[in-house]
Amino acid sequence: MSRQSPAPPRGARSQRTRSSSRFRGWLRHHRAMMLDSARRLLRRPIGSLLTMLAIAIALVLPAALWLALDSARLLDAELDESATLTAYLEPHVGEAQAGRIDEAMAAHEGVMRSRLITAAEGMAEFQQALGLDDALERLEDNPLPASIVVVPSDPAPEAVRQLAGELQALSGVDEVRLDLAWLERLRHLAELGSRLALALAVLFGLGVLLVVGNTIRLAVESRRQEIEVVMLIGATHAFVRRPFLYSGAWYGLGGGLLACGLLGLGNQWLTVPVSALAASYGASFTLPRLGLEGSATLLLCSTLLGWLGAWIAVSRHLAEIRPR
Amino acid sequence: MIAFEHVGKRYGGRFEALANIDFRVRRGEMVFLTGHSGAGKSSLLRLIMLLERPTRGRVLVAGHDIGRLHPSQVPFYRRQIGVVFQDHQLLLDRSIYHNVALPLEIRGVEPREVARRVRAALDKVGLLHREKALPVELSGGEQQRVGIARAVVNKPSLLLADEPTGNLDPQLSADIMALFEDFNRIGTTVMIASHDLALIARLRHRVLRLREGRLVDDEEAA
Repeated sequence: MSRQSPAPPRGARSQRTRSSSRFRGWLRHHRAMMLDSARRLLRRPIGSLLTMLAIAIALVLPAALWLALDSARLLDAELDESATLTAYLEPHVGEAQAGRIDEAMAAHEGVMRSRLITAAEGMAEFQQALGLDDALERLEDNPLPASIVVVPSDPAPEAVRQLAGELQALSGVDEVRLDLAWLERLRHLAELGSRLALALAVLFGLGVLLVVGNTIRLAVESRRQEIEVVMLIGATHAFVRRPFLYSGAWYGLGGGLLACGLLGLGNQWLTVPVSALAASYGASFTLPRLGLEGSATLLLCSTLLGWLGAWIAVSRHLAEIRPR
Repeated sequence: MIAFEHVGKRYGGRFEALANIDFRVRRGEMVFLTGHSGAGKSSLLRLIMLLERPTRGRVLVAGHDIGRLHPSQVPFYRRQIGVVFQDHQLLLDRSIYHNVALPLEIRGVEPREVARRVRAALDKVGLLHREKALPVELSGGEQQRVGIARAVVNKPSLLLADEPTGNLDPQLSADIMALFEDFNRIGTTVMIASHDLALIARLRHRVLRLREGRLVDDEEAA
């Protein structure tokens, strides 16, 4: 009787050896299906390559945008450094008092560091920057006030604006200047860019799902008879699904590898004009590369997408296929 | 082993494929199921294989009401039944060996054990020397014997066959039936749907006769 029962009572010992051998059988089937699905892909190399290329193209665009944003973020971090405030002191403030105001500002919790520029130092910088030695020497008095350059500890625009107000209130401070408008614009642009990248990534991710799903759907259709037979003799859905999931994962992995290659090629292609452009601004800028971590992320994502696409396609079909 | 309790099966609400079927098959019995095509033989077998569920009554196999099995348990239930199909349902792109190994691979049996049992099953049906051949390289009778090897490789306690001799000449049909008798002799319960009345009459086993979905005759073994 126990042969016919789905869950016959058994001793604990035999249960354990049974489940461990079942686990080994499961692993063996995984390994077999991984290799079998790879062999099936290799059996028709052109078709497989075309599918992978379609996946790669769908992945390249969001990945490239993401890379561009990443380099923009690096640029942004540098700009944060330059988000400084300048507090101009009132003309009558002497050097001693200026020193005290500087100390007071340095002690403020919102200030990372401050630097006092005395009227004389300011004049010297001014002369150096403009090369107007003669004209300025003719002035009898130094018309420049002392100033204090403040680097805020929090570069967020709202925090900087609040800090400016507080510094303005200190006695002896004439005016606090900050120029945040362009910084904010840049931030908005970066935000726009990252949202765009996310939307594109979602859209093209769906594209990958569709490409893999369609390919797997055809594969399921061509192996319909086989699926019906194995279901007749007791294959579980998981067993039937397995080879197709591996096919999907292989397609995804192949597509991911091609996408990494395409990104590398694009990098090579653009490096010369970009560095020439940067050099003309007196800057040095190198195009961002995917790097090891980025490549690994891309490959992981593409493989998972392939697997998921296959899962959806097979599951939809298994519901339709019933053994005759 | 098998018990049908007032089983009815309707398709699409109108067509009544089976009506009030009531019988028992004991463990170790060999039973023929006969009747004209359309009499309900295949429907009855499909109920036992859980390819269909009855619209009325209960089907019990080995004492279990199989109508109460959860869909996720159905594959495990099917693994305990060997089935031989009229069109043998072999996978054409795999060798004979791999076709027979399929039920064992589904169960995750060790490769060495698979090899041992596949060869034993092929030996039993007399096709050990063809294990590397593809199904298309075999004759109809040989293909059917591969189908039988695949059905018994799991050593099921219940063996079902739907018109296993449908396309074969009388001599081959007799050979196939002799194989089923061999398995029955070692304790396997065997149920064979067939309309080959002459052959059935010669074999002297219990016969269940269906007509228009009703069990009209139950002749005990002579």
